[in-house]
Amino acid sequence: MNTTTPPVLKLEGIRISFGPIAAVKGVSLQIERGEIVGLIGENGAGKSTLLKILTGIYQPDSGTIEVNGTPVRLRGPRDAIAAGVGVVHQEQSLFSNLSVAENIEMNTPPGAGGVSRLGLYRWRRLNRDAAATLEKIGSKLDPRTRVGDLSFVDRQMVEIARAIHMDPSRNTTPLVILDEPTSLLERKETAILEREMRKLRDVGAVIFVSHRLDEVLRVCDRVVVMRHGELIADRRTEEVTEDDLFHLMVGREMHSPDRRHRPIAADSRPAVEVSGLTRKGKFRDVSFAVHPGRCTVIVGTSGSGREALSRALFGAETFDSGSLTFGGRPAAGWTIAKATNAGVGYVPAERKVEGMVGGLPAAQNLTLTHPGPAAAGPVILPAKRDQVARTWFDALDVRPNDISLELERFSGGNQQKVVLAKWLNSPDLRVLVLDHPLRGLDPGAAETVNEQIRRARDEGTAVVLLADTLEEALEMGDEVVVMRDGVVTGHFDVATDDPSTLDLLERML
Amino acid sequence: MSLNRIARRATAAVAASAAFALALSGCTTTAGAAGSSSEPLQKEDLVIVASVINTLNPYFQGNITGAEALGEELGIPVEIVDANGDPGTQISKIQGVIAKGKKVVLFVNTVDNSVVRPIVDSVKQAGGFVTIWWNKPDDYEPWDAGDNFVAFQKHSGVDSGRCNAKALGDALGGEGNVIMLPGVQDSTTSQTRVAGFRAEMEENYPGITILEERPSNWDPQLAFDNSKQLITKYGDDIDGVWSADDGMQIGSMKAFKDAGLIDEVQFASDGLYPETIAAMEAGEPIVGETFHRGYMASAVGLYTAYLAATGEIVPSELPEEKRNSLFELSCVTPDTLPDYLQYDEPDAPAKFIDELIENGPWDAEPMPLVSGGPEVLP
Amino acid sequence: MVNATMQTENVDTTAIRQHELQTVRRSFIRGIAEPLGLIAALVALIIVFSLLNPRFATLENLRNVLDQASVPLIVGVGATLVILLGSIDLSVEGVMGASGMAWILMSANSRGGADLGVWAWIGAIAIGMALGFASGALFTRLKVPSFIVTLGMWYVGLGIATVMYGSGIVPMLTDEAVGGWASSATLGLPNSFWLAAVVVVLGVLTLRYTRLGRVTYAIGDNETIAKGNGVPVARVKTVVFVIAASLSGLAGIIATMKLGAGSATVGSGVLFVVIPAVVIGGTSLGGGKGGVLRTVLGVLLLTVLTNGLILAGVSPSWQSGVSGAILVAAIIVAAWSQRDRLRVAK
Repeated sequence: MNTTTPPVLKLEGIRISFGPIAAVKGVSLQIERGEIVGLIGENGAGKSTLLKILTGIYQPDSGTIEVNGTPVRLRGPRDAIAAGVGVVHQEQSLFSNLSVAENIEMNTPPGAGGVSRLGLYRWRRLNRDAAATLEKIGSKLDPRTRVGDLSFVDRQMVEIARAIHMDPSRNTTPLVILDEPTSLLERKETAILEREMRKLRDVGAVIFVSHRLDEVLRVCDRVVVMRHGELIADRRTEEVTEDDLFHLMVGREMHSPDRRHRPIAADSRPAVEVSGLTRKGKFRDVSFAVHPGRCTVIVGTSGSGREALSRALFGAETFDSGSLTFGGRPAAGWTIAKATNAGVGYVPAERKVEGMVGGLPAAQNLTLTHPGPAAAGPVILPAKRDQVARTWFDALDVRPNDISLELERFSGGNQQKVVLAKWLNSPDLRVLVLDHPLRGLDPGAAETVNEQIRRARDEGTAVVLLADTLEEALEMGDEVVVMRDGVVTGHFDVATDDPSTLDLLERML
Repeated sequence: MSLNRIARRATAAVAASAAFALALSGCTTTAGAAGSSSEPLQKEDLVIVASVINTLNPYFQGNITGAEALGEELGIPVEIVDANGDPGTQISKIQGVIAKGKKVVLFVNTVDNSVVRPIVDSVKQAGGFVTIWWNKPDDYEPWDAGDNFVAFQKHSGVDSGRCNAKALGDALGGEGNVIMLPGVQDSTTSQTRVAGFRAEMEENYPGITILEERPSNWDPQLAFDNSKQLITKYGDDIDGVWSADDGMQIGSMKAFKDAGLIDEVQFASDGLYPETIAAMEAGEPIVGETFHRGYMASAVGLYTAYLAATGEIVPSELPEEKRNSLFELSCVTPDTLPDYLQYDEPDAPAKFIDELIENGPWDAEPMPLVSGGPEVLP
Repeated sequence: MVNATMQTENVDTTAIRQHELQTVRRSFIRGIAEPLGLIAALVALIIVFSLLNPRFATLENLRNVLDQASVPLIVGVGATLVILLGSIDLSVEGVMGASGMAWILMSANSRGGADLGVWAWIGAIAIGMALGFASGALFTRLKVPSFIVTLGMWYVGLGIATVMYGSGIVPMLTDEAVGGWASSATLGLPNSFWLAAVVVVLGVLTLRYTRLGRVTYAIGDNETIAKGNGVPVARVKTVVFVIAASLSGLAGIIATMKLGAGSATVGSGVLFVVIPAVVIGGTSLGGGKGGVLRTVLGVLLLTVLTNGLILAGVSPSWQSGVSGAILVAAIIVAAWSQRDRLRVAK
């Protein structure tokens, strides 16, 4: 590295405690211009806390931060933005009701960028500046588009543009922190993002936080691993493998994929049968069946119609024609209430919006739909309910192990465990529909969730899964249905056809 | 008086005095044996309380003035309870005053019917005396509650309506089209005034057509808006406007002024507010008003209750017309207006109180007792 | 896995470009389609009322409707700003009372006192600003919900008006020219409406072309993110409350001027026209979505409804019921395009 340019970021002995718990215990780290550094660690390892220090949300108890060679004190988000630290959050933080350009410029202090004069917006200038920034990361999005109308990956682009967009008069190198930007993306979209990330090298430096170790290895120059609040490893990517990283992170072996595929019993009737199902503008003439104890994975890019299809199975969306049969019974006038009664469970992709009641304690969330022994008729029995919840908490290793804590205060992985347990608690769960159940989960939590899905399947539940990755699809599925533009373009039996990811991809695009 | 009625009253009286004795023995240590008549209260133990619907119009302000003038004359402290237009507030604030401990001599200008029973019950329990003005439930009479509910008093709404109708009918020469702006639609006061106005027109002015009735909730702003709509609808067909009170008349007149129609229309209303007097003196086309004053109502009501509290009258021994009473209401035209100006002089409330103390609550000019209630709709 | 990576390295981006074009087009269509329902409902009402009474569709009645719409329009601009923040301002009627009373007492009136002319306007609006600042400061500093703070401020305003009113006679405007200004016409339309139109235009420009306006949308959409982006949320909110209360104050002056008399309750009923008008217009009570022009449609719809029902001769006993039913029908028509199975309405 050129010794004349100071490092973009230099941390020295950063330490912070919350009460008696030390969340970050003396972290030192240096990032040079043009570098992409991966930051990995299990949920609770201290990554988020460290990021919050870099973005000015927390102030460290001790230690120093230097940005571009100047020591800084980040007392709030505005300080961080001024210093040139931009973040792309895990949960997207865009204003969906504003235009792309406005979102990109939102960080810039008024007046400085020249987009507003005397408090008045200069829309042309604003749109031109935003377009220039988008150009830098290779996006040709129209800056006037409303963000709410964009696809997920486009929104991610806007986030990145915002992170690198700064007052042109300041001559600083931006540091972009990507906090699990890919956890919600499809494979194809991820690839685009990875390409754009490499372009960021020319602009500044990047910290890339991800749970997808393969990605980290592909994109980053260097990987640092956090465990229990400490930086325990700092490796060049070419020196390590995925397994090494996993081992460093969790200190246990990765679960080997379950490759035992069971044939369908001759007398088995499908638990769910979809035939010629059509919803105008979403999906068309979709047919497949899932037998008890089997798992069917539906793959496709966003816009393939698989999300709408999965919601239709649960009665959350209507369909126009075709038929839907559950255990041989036609689902007429299908609603969520009817689906739930018929033993259908659904884990939505938008967990925080649709899957949980964040303000209620975990125990109440868990027993919301199927109280089981926690209720006698209309009466809730709190002692029984807590007992049920505790059993699940132990079985799924939910942390913190406190059933009375509001669900919104758990980390994403632990929330997902509770959401899943809500359905598993049903005494007769016939069909389980899962829309991206592993989104935003660290490998440890993802493993627990997958284990539970497999167990439900082995106990006779028919599973319909919308997987995050093709690898996940092949690992979990007995059958894989490929969709493109609302139509089924491929249907594989994993045991007999043995499709590769490329086979799937060909039919997706 | 029928036999039946006498018997009923006797029973009521016995029940009432029994209840009163019970209340007294619960509250005072001095009362020895519970007699059949109430123990008179001393002035030092009393507080005069006047409760008004709000403090935002001249009539309610008058209620307050009357209470204060009476308190000064009798040497008894005065408290004012502002209900802020809300029945619940009226009840709870009055209960708060009662809880302070002194025996209340209470005048209530009721927000609506519903407040009467709870207020009377609270007063009775604490051994105070109350006179209710303007609204009460039809099936609840003072003698049902006992001596603590001294009287229910009001001016006749029917007379007010007839008064205005006469003035308007005469001013229009018995021919023309009239619009009506009642108050809140389900208020008894408004309903009786409307009934009187319509009856008078029907009986004596067949040439007058009532175009439309548009309730304006005693609200000048709403009366202004409604008048504008009616002007658009009927244009210069409108010859006369009747409002159920002067506040709404102010709003309505402004609408006709804005439309440039003020000189083609005659107005009549109830209350003879100071603003209305000023307008009449300035020659604006107000042809009929009814005169009554808030300070007179509260003074009469409070003085009646005071007499009961000091034992000078025993409510159960009074004739019914003195417990459910209709008081005189004067019709005013521009010609007779000068006769009434004296009642708005600064010393008028004090003068009226002298008159009241000299002649008693039922013979004080200019609002002597006319007859007993309840008011009969034509 | 390697295959997948290789494959996606060469993704053809034309599909993405097309997708982008589509989204732009889609949002444009939706931007037009949403208010269309409301405009359709308004036009339908106007046609029906014109058929029921020919006097409805006259210039005179147009003046009448616009004059009546002026006060709710002025208040509605402020209310839209506040609701876009995701907050609510219930103090409208109290502020109108206080400002209106202050204005008439400082102008030539039947109680005497000095005629301060234009200073009466400034003084009266300053009272509104002060009340708005109090609401905004209490709301942002003490984090008391705006619902509660402004409910309190309603009564504070009413209290100020009551104290100013005192126990004297009703103050009446003595200057006929001033009293008639609001309702007299310029270029065929009432002055009160022109004033409201200026306020509406300023409102539209503020929301579209000022940082304050855009940040208002941002805060309404997601306050946490706005804070994370360094937006001075507390300051913006306070300024918006000050603007809203100033407009309520202005509306109080206009209402008092129209009535020609001081009344502490000059604003009575305005809140329950304005809030429904804002919501009917399509501004979301949750914040972030909507705008001033939509509120204008909402106000016109409600004003035309009241005016039309009277002209149509609907009996007063039936009027509340009929106007409620028509309103619900209009809203269903206007909101039809937005219904969705999992959409939550609270």
